[in-house]
This record gives sequence, structure tokens and C-alpha cells, in this order.
Amino acid sequence: MAALYGEVSWFCCGNSWGPCGTVGKGACGTCNSGSRQHAWPNTSAACLTITRPDRCGETLARRTCGHVHTTTNRCTGKAIATSIADCGPQTDLFCGERTCCGSVCGSNRVIDLTPSAYSAIGSLSTGLLPAMIT
Amino acid sequence: MDRRKLLTSAVLGGAAGLVGATALGSLSPEDVFAAEGANAKINPGDPDPNFVEGRITGITDTVLFVTSSDGSLHSIRVTNGTSIWKLNPTTFDEVKVGDGLYARGLRLADGTLAADSLWVNIVNLNAHVDSIGRGSLNLDHHGQRVVAHVENGRSAAVYNNTPAVSDMSMLEAGKHVKVIGAWHPDTNEITISTVYAAV
Repeated sequence: MAALYGEVSWFCCGNSWGPCGTVGKGACGTCNSGSRQHAWPNTSAACLTITRPDRCGETLARRTCGHVHTTTNRCTGKAIATSIADCGPQTDLFCGERTCCGSVCGSNRVIDLTPSAYSAIGSLSTGLLPAMIT
Repeated sequence: MDRRKLLTSAVLGGAAGLVGATALGSLSPEDVFAAEGANAKINPGDPDPNFVEGRITGITDTVLFVTSSDGSLHSIRVTNGTSIWKLNPTTFDEVKVGDGLYARGLRLADGTLAADSLWVNIVNLNAHVDSIGRGSLNLDHHGQRVVAHVENGRSAAVYNNTPAVSDMSMLEAGKHVKVIGAWHPDTNEITISTVYAAV
């Protein structure tokens, strides 16, 4: 697929502590915070009706559970390959949001990584990063 | 130079390696090279051996004993090179038994994780603002109520594309927010580090 530019965030799933303890294993039933996985806004028609990236001008291909994407932190160039384990993020809730590091920016949340995946390319305390997804 | 290369050069005695050896304590060459082999290939979807999630059940000197939510047990070695976050960047003495954590580092041959980074009690919640109280937000997170406290001088808000500011006055009940914060163990409360809101 052509490279997609946007924002990457992180989310917890699977067995966990604190407020994350109630979120479950995701739409694919396999999601765990400690695994190299991600959520994608268009895993099914039902998923797309929730996430609605189109409302932010984003057209994302249908990709189902297990599909592998590579996410690159555009601030550092670090990249990680992960597989789809959930539906998300809910892109339309934050249409037009922009995250930058210097002159490098990404707009709209288009992918969520698990904590283990996100922490391999950036600090969890950042919450959002500009990213390229292939 | 990445951490693994730093470790490798440490055992080979390079100048940069001396820094790595100091930062991570006395790692033997066998530890490092065994770790290299074990960590060479991690497939997408697989558990990451260089990452730990769980609750701290014990602390001795510079080792954290952690029980993951799946019941597995881990030892995490903290060094003077480990970055620690607990609402803000902080120090090892602020880490307590009962805290939750995410840790990233290098898995050594004996199973210990030599930690590069610890994020203690960190949460990232996508939630609905039910109501706004004095110094706190009442959030609905997957049907669970979470009280998110504002701490003056620490908590910040990001509205759309703006830089982080301390002013929380533009937050509205009925809207969605994303909150990076620190959980108060064994409660439904957190302290806000950064709240992201669309206005």
C-alpha cells in the first residue's frame, strides 16, 4: 500500500492492571498489551461505522485481523511491524488534530499500537507521535 | 548507537562500552551475547520478550519483582541509566510495591530484564467526560467511572493543535478526551499528565 501519514497512539488490551483491566482482548480476540499488535480503523464494515476516518478525509483500506503494518516514528525513524488485533482508533473524535516534532507533523489518528509496540519506537509518555504507516 | 550495540561494545571494552557497562552494571559477555540471540527475531503479533507489563510485588536494591496480569513472574534490573516515568520523569525511590508498570529493556540470559525505561502507573484512556468537578474530571471509560485529578503545575491540556497549556477551562462535559495519566493503585482514580481534547 502507499505510505499513509498520520498520528500513532497506544492503547492497552488483554489482561492488565488499573483502568485497563476492563478493556478485553479486542475485536480479534487476541489483543495483549505485551504483544506486537495494533488496532486499525477499518477491520470490517461494523468497525468502520464506529471509527469513521472518512469524516476526517482519511480513506483507509480494509485490513482484517492478523494483517501486518509497519509503523515508523517520523521523529526518530524507528519502525516496528505489528499485526492487527483490534478495531480502532476512533479517528473521527479528533478530526484535524495534529502532532509535531519540529517541522515534522502528522494529522488524524490512524493507528493505535499496543504498549509493547509503541514503546519500541517512542516513549509511552508522549501519547501521540507523527507516523508513517505502510 | 542503539542499546544492544552499546551493550555489545561494552563487553568488548570500547570507550562507549564503558558507559554502557556502567549504566547497566556488571553484565557478562555471555549474558549479552545470549540475549542477542534470543532477541534476534520477534514476529509481528508475538509477545515481546523485551517488554514487561504487571504489578510490582517486591523491591530489593535495584531489582523489581513483577507479576504480570497473565500470572507470569519477572525480575527487572534498574540501573542509573534507566529512565523512569511516574506522572513525570522521576527517580527509583518513587517506585513502590503495588504500582503497575510497563518496562522496556533487554532480556538477559538469566531471564532478568535490564530496563531501559519504566513507565509506572501510566494509563492512556480514551474516555467520555461525564462531568467536571473542582479540580477533577469524572470520566466514563468503557462503562467504568474514572476520576481524573488535575494537579497544578503538572497537569496539562492540549486542544487540537495547540501546545500543552495548564488551562483546563476549555474541557467540556459530554465530549471525548484522551488522557495520559498516572493511576492511583487499587482505586478508580488517576492524576492527569496530559489531556487531549477536540474543541
